[in-house]
Amino acid sequence: MKDGWMQRLRDELAQAWAVMAKDIKVYYLFPGMIMTGLLSPFFMFFSFSVRREMGATQGVARLLAMTIFFTAAAAGPFIIPLERRLGTYDRLLAAPMSLLTLLLGKTAVGAVLSIAISAVSLAIGVVVFGASIAQPWLLAAGVFLGSFSFSALGLIFGSIPTRNPGDVAMPSLLLRWGLLFVSGVFIPLAEMAPVARALAYLSPLTYAQDLMNHAVQGMGLLNPWLDLALLLLMGILFLVPSVKMHQRSRKLGY
Amino acid sequence: MNNAIEVDNLTKYYGDLLAVDHISFEVKQGEIFGFLGPNGAGKTTTQRMLTTLLEPTEGRIVINGHDLARDAYPVKRQTGLVPEESNVYAELTAWDNLMFTARLYRVPRAERAERARELLETFGLWEKRDVKVENFSKGMRRRLSIAMAIIHKPSLLFLDEPTPGLDAQSARAIRDLICQLNAEGPALSGAEGTTIFLTTHQIEEANQLCDRVAIINHGRIAAIDTPERLKRAFRRVQSVEVALEPDGRETSRVSETLEVSLAVLPGVTTSVKMGDKWRLYTEDPSALLPQVMDYARSQKLRVVSLSTLGPSLEDVFLEITGQQVGTVRHETNKRQGAGGRRGGRR
Repeated sequence: MKDGWMQRLRDELAQAWAVMAKDIKVYYLFPGMIMTGLLSPFFMFFSFSVRREMGATQGVARLLAMTIFFTAAAAGPFIIPLERRLGTYDRLLAAPMSLLTLLLGKTAVGAVLSIAISAVSLAIGVVVFGASIAQPWLLAAGVFLGSFSFSALGLIFGSIPTRNPGDVAMPSLLLRWGLLFVSGVFIPLAEMAPVARALAYLSPLTYAQDLMNHAVQGMGLLNPWLDLALLLLMGILFLVPSVKMHQRSRKLGY
Repeated sequence: MNNAIEVDNLTKYYGDLLAVDHISFEVKQGEIFGFLGPNGAGKTTTQRMLTTLLEPTEGRIVINGHDLARDAYPVKRQTGLVPEESNVYAELTAWDNLMFTARLYRVPRAERAERARELLETFGLWEKRDVKVENFSKGMRRRLSIAMAIIHKPSLLFLDEPTPGLDAQSARAIRDLICQLNAEGPALSGAEGTTIFLTTHQIEEANQLCDRVAIINHGRIAAIDTPERLKRAFRRVQSVEVALEPDGRETSRVSETLEVSLAVLPGVTTSVKMGDKWRLYTEDPSALLPQVMDYARSQKLRVVSLSTLGPSLEDVFLEITGQQVGTVRHETNKRQGAGGRRGGRR
């Protein structure tokens, strides 16, 4: 019985891996996407640092948080509606794996992309701007959990019962831009009004930004373990509406 | 013989719209079962419920002994699905498509490459294995789609409209593959004669391939039996087909007279002009034949050809789905010309 359960778990993990590897090959590994991935951190850094009095370490901490946030959910929300339209999503839904496995595979795609581009951002920060990293292991854990959490957030939009990728573009963008302004990226958490800070605590980006501050600058507002725990918890919670919406899609016929 | 599929009281509502209305049927193991119906009848909805893609509103589905609502995992491992649109990944090569599906269905690592090679060779795609599918023809995509659906050797294969849009050669090749899969399970799918659930609106395809056929109309099963028994049950759609030539008179004027005269011969229920021939539907062709000959003699018409036809599955389908035999055929004929006849001649 235990062997059967273990075998099933191994199978499900292998299937999530297969979904992730396929998505990377189909949607990410082409020259335009790779160039965008390599160049976007540069543009992001310059757009938020030009004419501002910002040190290299502070800039790199912000750059990393934003890179994780934007890249983890960049394409994920659009892939599922596109696959629904092409009929390829039925292939995945009909396969012998749980819905959670499928969603984990899809979440992993965005997370891997985010980790890869964060590595580029980090290299730019260290090599070009001479930033140093105060706590490398915290950085690695933060990038990993932040990527997972933001990718799961993006997947909620991908799970909306629709076959039109355009239907998810607007709500996905609105939420991401909204979170950017309330999460302590532009205004440090300590300087926020109490109401704004209460709002900031609802955003996963707040904890990612605080973690990056700890990891790069060696100081943050919250306990870094709390940041890590909340990012993990939010990542898991973000999967719940995706599961619910997929169950609804199965009733509606999407 | 055990049942591969047991469906009991299956129902699907989309909001207030009743798409599938309390249907029940069984499919035996090793059989090719045709699910026939006009567009919008509920065929694809039923198939999507049978393959776990759509949740039924009501009813029970048991596949290979497993209740689909409670225990879908083993069912998914034992079934393959070829949807109406070939859902292959255009950005990947044929080889990569097969390997991805093999991983998804947990085909053992040691067997994947051999199995993919075997299928690509069988389906005539081995030479194109490294070509991206976006460069494939529709027929090639269809073949790859079927190969992907059987890479894990399913005992039950769902095929949704496998041939529409294909050229005659490709359609024939797909039909041969379906027969081969059903007959030589061990060689291709690995199962002992793969059970095939074929959803189609192509009547002649169902007639040629299926052991049994269910006709669904307005979400309900209207009839279910072997094609031959269904045809026998509809004796009233037998017919006499006759081609008459005028003896020196103007063709158009004769044609006008014939339209009226043939339709009123005793025993004729419907008469339909099909190209240069007339088809006279009757319950008793043997009684009608001498009357047609007498009429031709009396009108000094030459009989070019005369034959009796049993009911085709298309006739049965039209009767069951409430479309008058003749009317639809006549319209089809006008659209397609003389070559538009699809019903099987018996």
